[in-house]
Amino acid sequence: MFLINCPYCGERDQSEFIAGGEAHIERPKQPTELSDDEWAEYLFMRKNIKGIQFERWNHAHGCRKWFNMIRDTSNDEIKLIYKMGEKPPKG
Amino acid sequence: MLNYTSPIKELKKYTGLTVGEISPLMKLNLRGKSRDFLTAIGKNINIILPIEANTSSSSENYTAIWLSPDEWMVVSNNIDSKDNNDYEIEELLFNKISKTNLGSVTNVTDQLVMINLSGEKIFDLLSTGCPFDFNDFKSKKGSSTQTLLAQIDVIIHHNKINSVNLFVRRSFSEHLMSWINDSASRL
Repeated sequence: MFLINCPYCGERDQSEFIAGGEAHIERPKQPTELSDDEWAEYLFMRKNIKGIQFERWNHAHGCRKWFNMIRDTSNDEIKLIYKMGEKPPKG
Repeated sequence: MLNYTSPIKELKKYTGLTVGEISPLMKLNLRGKSRDFLTAIGKNINIILPIEANTSSSSENYTAIWLSPDEWMVVSNNIDSKDNNDYEIEELLFNKISKTNLGSVTNVTDQLVMINLSGEKIFDLLSTGCPFDFNDFKSKKGSSTQTLLAQIDVIIHHNKINSVNLFVRRSFSEHLMSWINDSASRL
C-alpha cells in the first residue's frame, strides 16, 4: 500500500487507482506499411524493467482521470506525476 | 423517482450515530469543460459550480458537488415528489446544455441512493472501512470526496457539522447498509 498524489484530487490511497501500463507509446503513423513483427512490437511489447518506469495510471474510484507517473518498480518510489498530454522530463 | 422499494426501510440508531435514507431526491450529473458551460449552469439554476477539487457549493434549492475537473453532481436539497419523475431543471439544463453541445446532463436520480449519517461518531464509522484521510475533511463544511468505503464506490459529502451524505449505487446500497450496521454495532 502506498499513497498516490492524484493531480486532480490530491493524495489518495493506492487502492483507489488502477495501473494502465506503459506510457508514451506512440501509434505508428502508417500502420499499413508495417510488417507483422513491427505491429506486434507496437501492440504487445512492453518494458518490464527493474528501476524507473513511465506508466499511466487511472484514479478509477475517484475522479476517473488518467495521468502519467514515473515510478521506481524496485521500491515503488514515485518520482513524478504529471497530467495526460504533458511531455515527460528529459533525463 | 421511479417506484422502487428501497432495501433501506428504517432509520437506524446507534450510540452517537443515526443512519437513514433520504429519498426521493433529484440528482443530476453534469459534464462540461468550457467557460460557457459554467456560465450557462450559473445563469439557469443559480448555482456556481465549484472549481476547487473536493468541494461543493449550495444554493437555496440545490447543492453542486465536485466529482472531477469536468464533472459535477447537482442534488436537490429538499425532498421531491414521489409520483413525479420529471424535474424542471433537468429539462431546462437539457435544453440549454445538452442541445447546444456545451456539455451533458444525465439524470442519476434512480442510480444513486443517498444515505444520511449524523452524530458525532460518523468519522469513526467511515474510518473503519475507508483508506481516506478524514482529518481535513472533518473540519471543512461542504467538503466532498469520492472514495472506496468497504470496497464500495461512494461519494461522501460533508453537508453540515456532524452530518454526512453518502451516495452509493442502488445495487450496492443494501450491502453497504449491512456493513454500516455491522460496523456501527462495534464502534
